[in-house]
Amino acid sequence: MHRFFLRLLRLDRRIIFLLVGLATLLPLLFPLGFPIRVSPEVKKIYDHVESLPAGTLVLLSFDFEPGGKPELYPMAIALLRHAFQRNLKVLGVTLWPAGAGLAEAALAQVAREQSKARGRDFVFLGYAPGEANAVISMGQDFRAAFPTDYAGTEIAEIPLLMNVRSLRDIPYVLSLSVGFPGIETWYVYGKEKYGFELGGGCTAVSAPRFYPLLNTGQINGLLGGLRGAAEYELLIGTQGKAIAGMDAQSATHFLIIFLIVACNAAYFLTGRTTARRS
Amino acid sequence: MSTETLIGAWVAVGLSLLIYSFLYKDNPFFKLAEHIFVGVSIGYLLTITYYQVMVNKLYLPMMQQGKWWLVIPAFLGMLMLSRFIPPIAWLSRISFAFLLGISSGLAIPRQISSFILQQVQGTIKPLITVGDSGVMFTFANLNSLLILIGVVSVLFYFFFSIEHTGPVRRVARIGIYFLMISFGAAFGYTVMARMSLLIGRLDELVLYSSAAYGHATLVLLAAMILGLVWWERRQRPES
Repeated sequence: MHRFFLRLLRLDRRIIFLLVGLATLLPLLFPLGFPIRVSPEVKKIYDHVESLPAGTLVLLSFDFEPGGKPELYPMAIALLRHAFQRNLKVLGVTLWPAGAGLAEAALAQVAREQSKARGRDFVFLGYAPGEANAVISMGQDFRAAFPTDYAGTEIAEIPLLMNVRSLRDIPYVLSLSVGFPGIETWYVYGKEKYGFELGGGCTAVSAPRFYPLLNTGQINGLLGGLRGAAEYELLIGTQGKAIAGMDAQSATHFLIIFLIVACNAAYFLTGRTTARRS
Repeated sequence: MSTETLIGAWVAVGLSLLIYSFLYKDNPFFKLAEHIFVGVSIGYLLTITYYQVMVNKLYLPMMQQGKWWLVIPAFLGMLMLSRFIPPIAWLSRISFAFLLGISSGLAIPRQISSFILQQVQGTIKPLITVGDSGVMFTFANLNSLLILIGVVSVLFYFFFSIEHTGPVRRVARIGIYFLMISFGAAFGYTVMARMSLLIGRLDELVLYSSAAYGHATLVLLAAMILGLVWWERRQRPES
């Protein structure tokens, strides 16, 4: 037993990588169907979207780049599906230069699925340079911030944006953020001044930072990481990438917890045995 | 399937495997992918910035809409480049002063309002609930109490003007426990985030291993292993 514990403590890191890889890959190939429970912060966003009357404008800010895609793209897809199911009008923007391609792909995919028309049901305005200045600019004069949409169509020619002059004309903003600029930027420079309701989605690594904002009601809900996306998929009744990934997430978490507990136990047990022998 | 999609899939799989080869050990294949990543990222960023800022926000409004006053911010922007010419480097200070002034004026009041005043307000919440059935202590009150204890004890821990002895030491110690719990939660979330990235990548690698993509993952994985074996053999000193 002592030898086993010593071997555990000297385990080559590459074996751990291999185990983590297998724990991720196998559930992707053979789903296990672990249960998923919806958390209140995710339910709040769902309830808010449900409460919006059909035709309401929702601004979805794709504040991420390919590095945040595994967590935030499934979130974007789930939110777009829900918004289009509810016949809400979606305005897409991004504060990240590399986010434009991902945002366009997500909007095009869900619009195709639900037969929504560009310009009538949704519009993608592209990348807004300037971080906080971009939000301030949208608040002051939306048309000056975006003279054209992503495809180059004049804003004045887009029916969806006929009555949008400022962020004050948009009741709900959702920011899917991988860092700064993101949720904080929309809150500090947008919601505080222009009074719209704000919800957020973020990578798991940044989620603890946003719980204080949630606690004070500065944001009305939060989707945290792949888990948040999976919970949202569950709420809207679709089986997307996030739910598929949750089995792998749980399996790797089990493995990591097991390794932490086992190696700590081995550390203390071998220490005691060595002390007794000496 | 279009040729572009197929090429894109093979390039994505190839670069992912080159990057993952670092898990074995540092090697030239990983370095190649790393350099490609840096080059492509900077090139992409420069192109986007050029079109979205220089063309869409500066050139077109000036030329097509006659917004000639945009010459002023353009000039201030150009002054920043004077840092590369030592004799006139001082000119860049004008732009930096302008930027600092604007940023501070915009950010300080908003940051104080959002992250100090509102957070303090969130900390001071009722510790009991008074309803029709009398005074109650609910789970919400318990949460408010925990937040209050956490904030006060952590503030005590970071209070260095007096020596941490006696009751102050005990309160500061409680602050340490709260900090440890928050670090643990943050680390747990970090693990979750990193695993999500791995899941996202493996999900695409599984997708690209299908016949529709020409078994890209399997072919390139075999090539990667052969490449690493070849590189290991070259590394070995000749006996």
